[in-house]
Amino acid sequence: MTAVIDARAFRSAVVPPLACIVLVAVAWQTMASLLHSPLLPGLTEIGGAFAHIAASGMLVPQIAATLGRVALGFALAFALAVAIGLPMGRSPRARRFLEPAMLIGLTVPGLVWALLCVIWFGVSLANPIVAVALSAAPAIAITIAQGVRNVDPDLLEMAHVFHFGPLARARDLWLPALAPYLLSGARFGLSLAWKVIVLVEIFGMSSGVGYQLNAAFSSQNVALVLAWTLAFGVVMAVLEYGVMQALERRATRWRRSARV
Amino acid sequence: MSVAVRLTGVGKTFTRPETGVSEIALRDISLSIEPGELVAFVGPSGSGKTTLLNLIARLQLPDTGAVELTRADGAVPRLAMVFQQPRLLEWRTVAENVRLAADAAGIPRERVAPALEAVGLAAYGGAFPLMLSGGQRQRVALARAFVVEPDIILFDEPFSALDELTARTLRSAMQTVRAIRPHTGILVTHNTLEAAFLADRILSFGAHPGRIVGEERVAIPRPRDPDDERLFRIHQRVLRELGV
Repeated sequence: MTAVIDARAFRSAVVPPLACIVLVAVAWQTMASLLHSPLLPGLTEIGGAFAHIAASGMLVPQIAATLGRVALGFALAFALAVAIGLPMGRSPRARRFLEPAMLIGLTVPGLVWALLCVIWFGVSLANPIVAVALSAAPAIAITIAQGVRNVDPDLLEMAHVFHFGPLARARDLWLPALAPYLLSGARFGLSLAWKVIVLVEIFGMSSGVGYQLNAAFSSQNVALVLAWTLAFGVVMAVLEYGVMQALERRATRWRRSARV
Repeated sequence: MSVAVRLTGVGKTFTRPETGVSEIALRDISLSIEPGELVAFVGPSGSGKTTLLNLIARLQLPDTGAVELTRADGAVPRLAMVFQQPRLLEWRTVAENVRLAADAAGIPRERVAPALEAVGLAAYGGAFPLMLSGGQRQRVALARAFVVEPDIILFDEPFSALDELTARTLRSAMQTVRAIRPHTGILVTHNTLEAAFLADRILSFGAHPGRIVGEERVAIPRPRDPDDERLFRIHQRVLRELGV
């Protein structure tokens, strides 16, 4: 019985996204076959370009360079966002003080941060880290602040009455209560980080997926542009399904248990 | 005579921030509660019962007067509270919810299982609160209060959100646990029959401003039967005190 349920759950989890990917691939191939244009290469050409970068040994180091920069920038963004979001959520005065800066940060396009950081930091590692942090931190901070405001005051009162220590409050009350907001902030922040890192690498770095995209663009090699984009997409899918959704499942297992 | 809770001339005024209008929630409340005694506060909405409970729990501070909680050995008395809603951490299991309170009070974790057993939840330690019924969730809240071995337990309408059948079972469970481990208790309730069943003394509160308008002793030995005729007579006297 359990095996039947597991197989069914697996099918319902895997089949829809696979179907979507297959549908997009078929639509793309149909379009490429109908247009016969070098600007719209078919799946075989894109696959060939992908195999070429994989065989050349560039794929892993270039993606690793980009991932490393995103990870460092995102870690800084997250730390800043927690430091800003917690007081914003707890104190109306802090919120009124910090909100304009966060709103301005949200409205500045990633391209502007990328350009500014290239000017400020040149080709150093600080360039992508600061650009990613500045782009992602405001969105994450606002999400965290909203989460803090939504923490049930009745639970805080209960923790006060029962004299919960700072560790128990943080580990057993604040962190689980904020988990959905931290995760959704992280997800949104990561999506912004990906966009800005490509720009930074296009304008101011000599490695990474953005740099390779720019090189492929300069040689008007659309198949190569798409192959790098595809590689990037695969990494993001692994992060989303392998890391973010696993974290989400872990953080909300208590909610699912109620439906069993 | 020793005293567990002493209130002297306690007053509390709230100001509505939107209008700036002040309202006296409590005026000049003085009362003493003996160790082991269970006193019920009954009265209409707005009579300041819950405010008074919050002052005793130190969730708020009085504007005038003093709230003293004492223990015979001079130590600081340990306080627990059962709220109208269970206020459980839904992401922690039943046992973890109780254990967290025990940890905070320095009570050994071995006491968690007996506390759950005392409220009839021995088999539910590993369950998450969302898997439980409303009555079971409130039982967890009772276990959390009992496990810290409190000197004083404050009950803020603990059964008012439950159906009468469940509430009746829980009142009996509370009576049983109190018999095993006596403690001073303060019960805020709208239900005068509930007050008569559980309390040693019933204080009736009037509204605007909140003040004590009557006192009734319940000299019926325990264990009490919820259908005892004498409880109904006390209930009627309390209603008269409240002007109903």
